[in-house]
Amino acid sequence: MTNRDEKVLIKGNYAIAQAAVNAGCQCYFGYPITPQTEIGEYLSGKMQELGRGYVCAESELAAINMVMGAVATGVKAMTSSSSCAVALMQEALSYAASDELPVVLVNVMRTGPGLGYIYPAQGDYNQAVYGGGNGDYNLIVLAPSTVQECVDLTYRAFYLAQKYRNPVILLADGLLGQMMEPASFGEYPYPEVDVSSWALTGAKGRDARMIYSVATDEKKQIQHICDLHRKFEVIAENETTYEEFEVDDADIVLVAFGSMTRNIKAAMKVLRAKGIKAGCFRPVTLNPFPHKQIHALAEKGKEFAVVEMNMGQMFKDVKYAVEGLSNVSLINRACGEWLSVEEIVSSVENVLRGGKQLAASL
Amino acid sequence: METNFIFAGFGGQGILLAGTILANAFMIEGKNVTWYPCYGAEMRGGTVNCEIVVSDSEVSSVHKQDTDYAIVLNQQSFDRFITRVKAGGTIIANSTLVAEARPRNDIKYVFAPMTKLANDLGTSKVTNVVSLGVLASACSIVSKEFLAKGIEKVLGEKKRDLIPLNLKALDGAFALS
Repeated sequence: MTNRDEKVLIKGNYAIAQAAVNAGCQCYFGYPITPQTEIGEYLSGKMQELGRGYVCAESELAAINMVMGAVATGVKAMTSSSSCAVALMQEALSYAASDELPVVLVNVMRTGPGLGYIYPAQGDYNQAVYGGGNGDYNLIVLAPSTVQECVDLTYRAFYLAQKYRNPVILLADGLLGQMMEPASFGEYPYPEVDVSSWALTGAKGRDARMIYSVATDEKKQIQHICDLHRKFEVIAENETTYEEFEVDDADIVLVAFGSMTRNIKAAMKVLRAKGIKAGCFRPVTLNPFPHKQIHALAEKGKEFAVVEMNMGQMFKDVKYAVEGLSNVSLINRACGEWLSVEEIVSSVENVLRGGKQLAASL
Repeated sequence: METNFIFAGFGGQGILLAGTILANAFMIEGKNVTWYPCYGAEMRGGTVNCEIVVSDSEVSSVHKQDTDYAIVLNQQSFDRFITRVKAGGTIIANSTLVAEARPRNDIKYVFAPMTKLANDLGTSKVTNVVSLGVLASACSIVSKEFLAKGIEKVLGEKKRDLIPLNLKALDGAFALS
């Protein structure tokens, strides 16, 4: 897909930042917060070098609104932040979804609720997938599991945002942001999207355009909401992405997203060595969620164990997809130290013995 | 086959850099590798650590509960990480700053006066690279040749003038251990 050049050992945060540069991101607006500050740090120098825009905004609220302004002119732009500060951006995301603005937002998750702390966690699944903004809207949510995917999915985020005129969240976590791993960048692998039919570029020689979300006409608003939802059905049809490993003969399928994926894959190998037929399923797009694919596995009689670093947020989506056809267990911890391979293995064994989920709560 | 390493010491001892050099060495060798730091409200003089996992296949969990090798450059890190070394694992300690005690009998001990060796070479700043030389002599999967390439890669063009001193530290530590 891309011309892969030499691998470099790079932090997830820097990988996201460099990928944004390669994707043609013209403007970055952001406000520092651990564990994603390296993104803004890297771009503060890089964007200046390249003659592109960089603003250290006065707040996260300002940053996301600056992104909306920039992308409305047809250029690629992004912001990045973490959990409690992404909470401040929810109003703007609702507006951006309604205005069909190709906003790219990177959330490198830390622990909440409230201010929480800087430990890694996966507690913003609901915030990203179901949103904290008002009204009926959908964001595209991509969840990388390796530093290489921080690159690949940042590329994809910029492409999908413009292709569908829909905000995209890249949902990473503190572990992924802070760790280093070899990755290669290649070139931005997607075609440039023609934005000339809608971008606000000055009305010289054409009729004026407006992008707004106020709707005083009830019928038009109904139409607008239905149009947005039809658009998302198309996105679900075309863009739902997932990975599965050794599910064909599996009795139990471990489900995880983001950087927990590597732990369930390792646990699967240990379980198989012990004679337990385990498989793995990992949604790459959290929205659109691969409901159909999980349902199809449930129809074949497989049971599921959802492994995540929150109190069971994706767990509900898996249960919804399974529709009661088989057993779905939750193996989780609230935040902090990622569930180890050994903990996952012993929890799965416990589940299969008919026990309740383990609780690796502390 | 997966092996992990924890580097730990004072902030300012070059712990994260030592780990970065090791991770680069493994990458250049063509292995799968991850590097994960403790992060947060750290400060110079406080404690710092990072964990490197190397694997023939895809690296599983990047942050593990126990470790095959702990490379500790001060007493606090020795006390903290000796409990996390796997049975049969190895702790490699900077005996300039760490008392030569052997509280567990199910692990191996390597004591080397790393800060002293570094000072003998002219600067305590290369203590971290000395620790890599000691590690290479104690651990068969860490190659001194690839560590040298890792040093060249990490220091790069900008710090090219520092490469000879660091290679000397690596060789000196390896020869003495």
